Amino acid sequence: MIHFISKRLKHSLVLLFLASLVCFTLVVSAPGNVAVLIAELRGAVATPGYVEQVAEEIGLNKPLLMRYVDWLGDAVRGDFGISYRTGQDVSADLANRMLVTGILIAGSAAIATLISLALGFLGAFWPYKLPDRASRGLALLGASTPTFFVGALMIYAFSVTFQLLPSFGFAGPQSWILPWLTVAVLPAAVLSRVVRVGLEEAMASPFVLTAKSKGLGRTTILFREALPNITPLFINALGTQVGLMTATAIIVEPLFAWQGVGDYFLAGVRFRDFMVVQACLLIFLTFFIVVNLIVDLAVLLTDPRIRRQWS
Amino acid sequence: MNMLNPILARLNKMPRAALITIGLFVALGTFAPWLAPQDPSTQNLLEAGLGPSAAHWLGTDHLGRDTFSRLIIAANTSLVSVGSVLGIAMTIGILLGTIAGYHRGWVDDVLMRVVDVGLSVPSLIISLAVIGIVGPGYWTMVLALALAWWPMSGRISRAVAVSIMSKPHIEALRVLGASPWRIYFCHLLPGTIGSVMVYATADAGTAALAVATLSFLGLGIQPPTPEWGQMLVDALPYLESDPRQVLLPGLALTAAVIGFNTLGESIALNRVPKPLTRRMLAARRAEVASWSKENSDA
Repeated sequence: MIHFISKRLKHSLVLLFLASLVCFTLVVSAPGNVAVLIAELRGAVATPGYVEQVAEEIGLNKPLLMRYVDWLGDAVRGDFGISYRTGQDVSADLANRMLVTGILIAGSAAIATLISLALGFLGAFWPYKLPDRASRGLALLGASTPTFFVGALMIYAFSVTFQLLPSFGFAGPQSWILPWLTVAVLPAAVLSRVVRVGLEEAMASPFVLTAKSKGLGRTTILFREALPNITPLFINALGTQVGLMTATAIIVEPLFAWQGVGDYFLAGVRFRDFMVVQACLLIFLTFFIVVNLIVDLAVLLTDPRIRRQWS
Repeated sequence: MNMLNPILARLNKMPRAALITIGLFVALGTFAPWLAPQDPSTQNLLEAGLGPSAAHWLGTDHLGRDTFSRLIIAANTSLVSVGSVLGIAMTIGILLGTIAGYHRGWVDDVLMRVVDVGLSVPSLIISLAVIGIVGPGYWTMVLALALAWWPMSGRISRAVAVSIMSKPHIEALRVLGASPWRIYFCHLLPGTIGSVMVYATADAGTAALAVATLSFLGLGIQPPTPEWGQMLVDALPYLESDPRQVLLPGLALTAAVIGFNTLGESIALNRVPKPLTRRMLAARRAEVASWSKENSDA
């Protein structure tokens, strides 16, 4: 088990290194002279002298390898440089925004888990009957409706028509509900199918037959025998969905006027603020890698079969 | 007509509602300029925000443009951009995938590692990163989406190519002294393209969704060109007074995506369809059999 964990950690470190390389190369390969762009963004006339001064200031004249080492060293210490556009510290901006996005993703993941388990169990309890078909239809609808349209529908239903919840802003749990629901729709739809199919497979396995022959009821078998069996599968799928939620956050945060990392990334992309794009990209990639690591460790904890393999 | 029979038989097995939706989408998209009853960008501020009427079947938006015409033209915009995205992505994917499947070894390892990474990062983040570096624009959007989409077709075409390369007739060709170029272009590539195309159509829904999402974020198709996502974000400030302008483009997009997703699910359930070449062979055989019948009749 220690062997597995150390091997997995090494794997993650290699991936992190590759991710940093990708982020760095992307910005270096940007077309046009970055120094001119920055000079213009600062509102100055881009005279050759000023451009040269800017290039010197942000270290564009050093060799590539040196720039990479400098940048990586700063990034590891949590310093992502200064935004080309606003002149503010990117790390300070990010620190506030990470909490917002964290709340968004954590809440949505919890809601998606609850909804998908409920829908999946409905389907598995009455297979191929009305509840199963209804949950399947809901899953198809949820997986096909564009996230921004879901958000617009939520605002229209809950804040315009019924005036129950605020339509935008980040002020207290009441204003969190709509963004949570909006982000949760897609993962809930996908995960409900995972639960449904996983439960059906588990219900066809020999230990369920044994449980049936012992005279256990359908509910007991579903919860006591089948549910622990699909936990590793579910955690795996949930990890993928949590990773995808970063992409959904980019759409949902501006819609609800939340100042999160997704909103920051989008603003960076819009104004070609490379430092912001680079920092956000590195954070997203790090997040995927960490989530994957946690998923693998959680699967190890919940699945005795894999645990035995590695001990 | 006999050539069409196997294709019709396959179509019969697919969900009819999905096929109708997709057919409608493609037909609207192709013939949009002739179908739209009015010019989609003519503004008439005196008639802004009206409800449905004989002149404007689905009302007008906040600038007095005819919503029905705009929805139809938007299908065209969507179809063209999805077609170019999938076309470019599939060209890259098939090329790299077949090369990996043909060569195996380290080429295969490196390419498939890249594909793994590409598939594990959400496509929206990849395309946004590219747009952020290059700067927004129509072709940037198409290229950025293609860059996010090729790993999918790359993985499928690699799998198909590997299975074709392990078939006995390839070995026979090698023994007969066929050049690598001949094997690659005459045997490997045509066989792969057929299978990958089928998956690509199932993927078109998510591609349409991505185009709409980028347009919604203001980084895809720019106004005044009508596009569903961009129409929706355009009407969003007027959600309270005129919700129809938000609902209609959203519903149109959702219908199209549901159609493609249902089709994709049925393709996935039917497993990999027989490669195009084999289907054509079967059709050919049926045709030849009918010839002999005609001859014996005469």
